[in-house]
Amino acid sequence: ALGCRENYSWGSCAFNGFGRQIHRQSSSIVEEQLDPFSLVENELSMLANRLRSMVVVEVPKLASAAEYLFKLAEGKRFRPTVLLLMATALNVHIPGPVSDGVIDSLPMELRKRQQRIAEITEMIHVASRLHGDVLDDADTRRGIGSLNFVMGNKIAVLAGDFLLSRACGALASLKNTEVVALLATAVEHLVTGETMQMTTASEQRCSMEYYMQKTYYKTASLISNSCKAVALLAGQTTEVSMLAYEYGKNLGLAYQLIDDILDFTGTSTSLGKGSLSDIRHGIITAPLLYAMEEFPQLHAVFDRGLENPADVDLALGYLGKSRGIQRARELAAKHANLASSAIDSLPENDDEDVQRSRRALVDLTQIVITRSK
Amino acid sequence: MLFSRGFYRIRRTTLNRRCQWLLSFRRDHQQLICPTYCPSPMVSAEKALGCRENYSWGSCAFHGFGRQIHHQSNSVMEEQLDPFSLVENELSVLANRLRSMVVAEVPDLASAAEYFFKMGVEGKRFRPTVLLLMATALNVPIPVSASNGMVDALPTELRRRQQCIAEITEMIHVASLLHDDVLDDADTRRGIGSLNFVMGNKSAVLAGDFLLSRACVALASLKNTEVVSLLAIVVEHLVTGEIMQTTTTSEQRCSMEYYMQKTYYKTASLISNSCKAIALLAGKTAEVSSLAYEYGKNLGLAYQLVDDVLDFTGTSTSLGKGSLSDIRHGIITAPILYAMEEFPQLCEVVDRGFDNPADVNLALDYLGKSRGIQRARELAAKHAGLASAAIDSLPESDDKDVLKSRRALVDLTHRVITRTK
Repeated sequence: ALGCRENYSWGSCAFNGFGRQIHRQSSSIVEEQLDPFSLVENELSMLANRLRSMVVVEVPKLASAAEYLFKLAEGKRFRPTVLLLMATALNVHIPGPVSDGVIDSLPMELRKRQQRIAEITEMIHVASRLHGDVLDDADTRRGIGSLNFVMGNKIAVLAGDFLLSRACGALASLKNTEVVALLATAVEHLVTGETMQMTTASEQRCSMEYYMQKTYYKTASLISNSCKAVALLAGQTTEVSMLAYEYGKNLGLAYQLIDDILDFTGTSTSLGKGSLSDIRHGIITAPLLYAMEEFPQLHAVFDRGLENPADVDLALGYLGKSRGIQRARELAAKHANLASSAIDSLPENDDEDVQRSRRALVDLTQIVITRSK
Repeated sequence: MLFSRGFYRIRRTTLNRRCQWLLSFRRDHQQLICPTYCPSPMVSAEKALGCRENYSWGSCAFHGFGRQIHHQSNSVMEEQLDPFSLVENELSVLANRLRSMVVAEVPDLASAAEYFFKMGVEGKRFRPTVLLLMATALNVPIPVSASNGMVDALPTELRRRQQCIAEITEMIHVASLLHDDVLDDADTRRGIGSLNFVMGNKSAVLAGDFLLSRACVALASLKNTEVVSLLAIVVEHLVTGEIMQTTTTSEQRCSMEYYMQKTYYKTASLISNSCKAIALLAGKTAEVSSLAYEYGKNLGLAYQLVDDVLDFTGTSTSLGKGSLSDIRHGIITAPILYAMEEFPQLCEVVDRGFDNPADVNLALDYLGKSRGIQRARELAAKHAGLASAAIDSLPESDDKDVLKSRRALVDLTHRVITRTK
């Protein structure tokens, strides 16, 4: 899979600690234990190349800037994978080989449009990262020097604008105003989420509700709204489109909650072995918010701003004593299950590809919560 | 290398100037002696949004270019109205609606949006004026005002949608200004601190994205995919234009063709494509929509060319009295490009960049000896003429309001090229 260097084989998915909660549509079929990412990897390569060449051809000087972020191994092209799987799961055929002589143009056309959604989603995502990095203290973004230090804020703004504008054009080309509204709303949410994160109001920073709202805006809205867009393009009913939306939303939330935990634990299960990037930037995430419920004295520590390393250690101390990490995991699992349920609630379908994709989507919900990076 | 010389010396306040031209234009005319020709009373423009100066038709200072006012019908007593006053009530309504369209639940975004409206009031709403006039000129009725005692007629659904285009256009425009200010390191905009200066670069960038996304949502609500495409193209053009301006090669900077293309992207595309959108919403033919487009495009180009000239001449007709902001930022505009055709040695000076004030003076010298300024003005006049012609080519109409709006649109083409600020 593009950019993916780990193998997400079934066995090594480390379901330990959570039990296996894999849903199967039909027991009579031998369960193919496929890596969800491999189901769509060819398509993804095509997408990535198309995206890359668009940037390189139009604005060579900006290409290196935007390329930089496209190259990131982040998310293993997670979003587009989900979207392409969703497209198949909603009963749209993956283009078959041309060799059978019959090229069914209609499903092909639809598939192309849904691929477009995946491209647009990536463009929006990268643009929002570029803009989110403007004058941030983010000096490392996933292990690579942040763009604003490498090439300057201005290039970041311009490159982000370029991607956003091309996303607008691509959206318009789909000739579906509902889809335009969905993705535009996602952009608005990204901005809102980023702004919420910048807020220093003490009360809000310590509120779980505020945090979940911000997390929805920053992480889940894009994937949920693009899942819904994929469904709409396929002409699905409102009900089915909402199921697609719910899948994306809960998957996104689960993903972020685990992300928060991993920032503390890293690849180990011990506390403090993660990068601790959030807490060092004064970003208070779910585990700490839960810990604060058990230890109100944490409030005062947060108010001081967490700039002092001693305060960081203090907070970690409380976190370790609390059930913060566990409760965050439980919440992640809850959302993962909601995502699974959404897939299970989709209208029945006998098609092999459809079933396989649905299984893959369900498997992703487990992968998201059991990953250790 | 990624950073061309032009990149760091980015023009400041060009847009600032551009958007303030109306404000100063009006101030100017108070000082002019009203020619005896003009019989019409001073039109009070106080009601116009944010506008405190009065200016009358007669003092419009058409000197230098002759009067080229087109009249569709001689039998109608020619009302010599201020184009802006024709739509001022509507504009107030728009402004309020626009305000509610950018309400944000997050306080920081809300204050950024408020900021945008402070700017908007000062900007005299040139673009929306053009669009609303165009709507009427294309035979879509203006809402009836309440001043004659009659009950306000609600704007037709169509008019409402066209007003939405005007709102969307403003949002896109301001979004691009917010980003431009970050790219330019500008600290003022329209006389007040720029948003990036007041709230930080990141906030300004995010505020711009917010406005853009709201514009897109509003655009989608019109449920017209052709119109969505048009405005999406505009967004692409604005960015392309900015990229063209910041990443030019030496050869490109000296090319008139490159310059005109960039100018189209940065200045004319927005107004031309939104004029076309106005026409499309009204269900006009492709031909009429093209005419609307041509009007907007040529008006925009004329505007920018005069802007370029004024950067050299300022309010006087002498060279070097303008702010010289473009040249100091290494931005080569039409007058210099023309001068370079007459004096190829100017190319070397241009290549050196304009860090050295002596080079600025040298260039001004060549410019003064050349016909650069005049040719730029001539090109502006040509585009203004094309814009007028587009209006004249619209299908005939007897409707008084339609005629009035068309005259106003034509008058705008003259104002754009005769302004001195």
